[in-house]
Amino acid sequence: MTLELDGLSHRYGSERALDDVSLALDDGELVALLGPSGCGKTTVVQAIAGHLDPTAGRVSLRGTDVTGVPPEDRNVGIVFQRPTLYPHMTVGENVAYGLKSGGLTPDRVSERVDRYLELVELADRRDASQQSLSGGETRRVELARALAPEPDVLLLDEPLSALDRGLRARLRDEIVRIQQRTGVTTLFVTHDQEDAMSVADRLVVLRDGAVVAAGAPRRLYESPPNRFVAAFLGRSNELSARVDGGDSPTVTIGGTELAADAVPSELVGGSRAAVHVRPGDLTIGPVQRSDDTLGDGGNPPDRSAASADGGRFGDRPGPIEMRGTVTHVRDVGRRYDVRVEVDSGEMVTVEQNRDGVCETDRVTVTAATNDLTVFSVSE
Amino acid sequence: MSLVDATRSVTRSRRLPPPLVFGLLGGILLVYFALPFVVFLGRTGSVPVVEALLETASRTAVRNSLLTAPAATAIATAFGVPLAYVLARETFPGKRLIEALVVLPLVVPPVVGGAMLLSVVGRFTPIGAAAARVGLPLTDSLLGVVLAQTFVAAPFVVITARAGFGAVDERLERASRSLGYGPIATFRRVSLPLASRAIVAGIVLTFARAIGEFGATMMVAYNPRTMPTRIWVDFIAGGIDAIVPLALALLAVTLVVVVTVQRFAGVPSVVDR
Repeated sequence: MTLELDGLSHRYGSERALDDVSLALDDGELVALLGPSGCGKTTVVQAIAGHLDPTAGRVSLRGTDVTGVPPEDRNVGIVFQRPTLYPHMTVGENVAYGLKSGGLTPDRVSERVDRYLELVELADRRDASQQSLSGGETRRVELARALAPEPDVLLLDEPLSALDRGLRARLRDEIVRIQQRTGVTTLFVTHDQEDAMSVADRLVVLRDGAVVAAGAPRRLYESPPNRFVAAFLGRSNELSARVDGGDSPTVTIGGTELAADAVPSELVGGSRAAVHVRPGDLTIGPVQRSDDTLGDGGNPPDRSAASADGGRFGDRPGPIEMRGTVTHVRDVGRRYDVRVEVDSGEMVTVEQNRDGVCETDRVTVTAATNDLTVFSVSE
Repeated sequence: MSLVDATRSVTRSRRLPPPLVFGLLGGILLVYFALPFVVFLGRTGSVPVVEALLETASRTAVRNSLLTAPAATAIATAFGVPLAYVLARETFPGKRLIEALVVLPLVVPPVVGGAMLLSVVGRFTPIGAAAARVGLPLTDSLLGVVLAQTFVAAPFVVITARAGFGAVDERLERASRSLGYGPIATFRRVSLPLASRAIVAGIVLTFARAIGEFGATMMVAYNPRTMPTRIWVDFIAGGIDAIVPLALALLAVTLVVVVTVQRFAGVPSVVDR
């Protein structure tokens, strides 16, 4: 393990910032530490870099416990959220700064500065002043400065969040390219799930100072281990579900009553559950004239053909249909976000590619049962 | 149009544009600043400035001031800049109290400050007596002058340097630590150069305050005379015209030092842009 955190906890006064955080990074791995702002991400970064002493726990680099070691003796590279290039030095001097502390000869320093400025494609800006750089160039010089001393671990603390959208995407790719070229073990800290998913080999999700999930981005996205991850990784609708036991157990989701065998079996255990479904997995269709029976077939949209025969207690899991009223249609460019208040009173967002519904329209919202993720609610 | 709108538009048209109002108010103050300078300097023609400055008493006063004020400034800087850094970076219990203590010499009238200093270093106090015994009297000596000047002037460098350090993003220091520099090396290579403008401003203010110090100096060391105490003595004896030469010299010294320090204090040129 290149970097290992073991039971890291930290308090600021009486406020708990980190609670028993453990994680490990393999050599050359790019791991994203993802969580909402204020969840303790920066505290983790500071603890790894040695800028704060954790209340409890251990930080190890390449197998050595460095918990009490000052930052200058740790060989950790760090890029902060806000630019930290030295205004009283040129671009080249900034990159050389971390090399001069290491006792390299001036020739070696100069050669290394050239190499790393080339890596970030800024070789021609070596003598430029920091003030003449654009936002993206500043970031790249900071990357070069952090990488030049060849650190064991590179910490990127929200490196993209101060940039505008277009630049962000480009720099994100750049970071991945540079990370692959250098093979440096990297912890990429971000609150943006899109950034995290697109760069990382592995995700670690932090919430209120504790790790709530870890694993491959795609796996966490598709089968989130808990409600928080489901809601935080991409957009998600949460619906409450009520389970009624008895001879023919039924489950009610968003006002639709289903036979228990029509829904994932995890649901039937407790009496209450939360169901998550991605806005893109929901479809909207018109409500049938015979408004009184649920799911009486007719014209279900797209994927629900299998159960369109009105069999509420069908043999195989069919779609869930919920009646509701459109409360808001938001045009976000490449799609429409339609907000629907289903008859249970809950709000869901449906992503739609075409226009066609208006506010106050009565609609049917349909979800395939295999697109539902179910979490039991303990209360 | 409502009644309110109507009245509003009438008053608006009568009102002077704000820049003009501000300019007028500021201008009155500027005239008040400039007038004494102009009139006072106008008297120089009728006074033999050079001859007066060549007199022994004047030469001694100039020499004493040029010895004591830089010494006081150096002491204030050597002890004040580290204090400023601690105040800018650390939080600890009792910090408010220490901050108040730093400002205290600024708000205490210099004469009172001098009297309080006397109560510590006066000839009949333990410290003053001990110093006098080893031949370093702390009152009525150049040392006494330096003590008085330092007491009164040092807060300037502490306060401005503290503001300067406070404006340096702490992450620049953290980055430096992670790039292999210890706390002292980081202070020297990052914090100090980046706060240098503020520190230089503080040094200049401290020097200007020290060389012009009169109230506390008079209490602690009326002798040997510095330029301000000499000016007082000359004024009592001969009125305003008698002090024109030394006043001019004091003004000149202060101006030269301020300009020189600001020019050559190694302020990084990149920051200027």
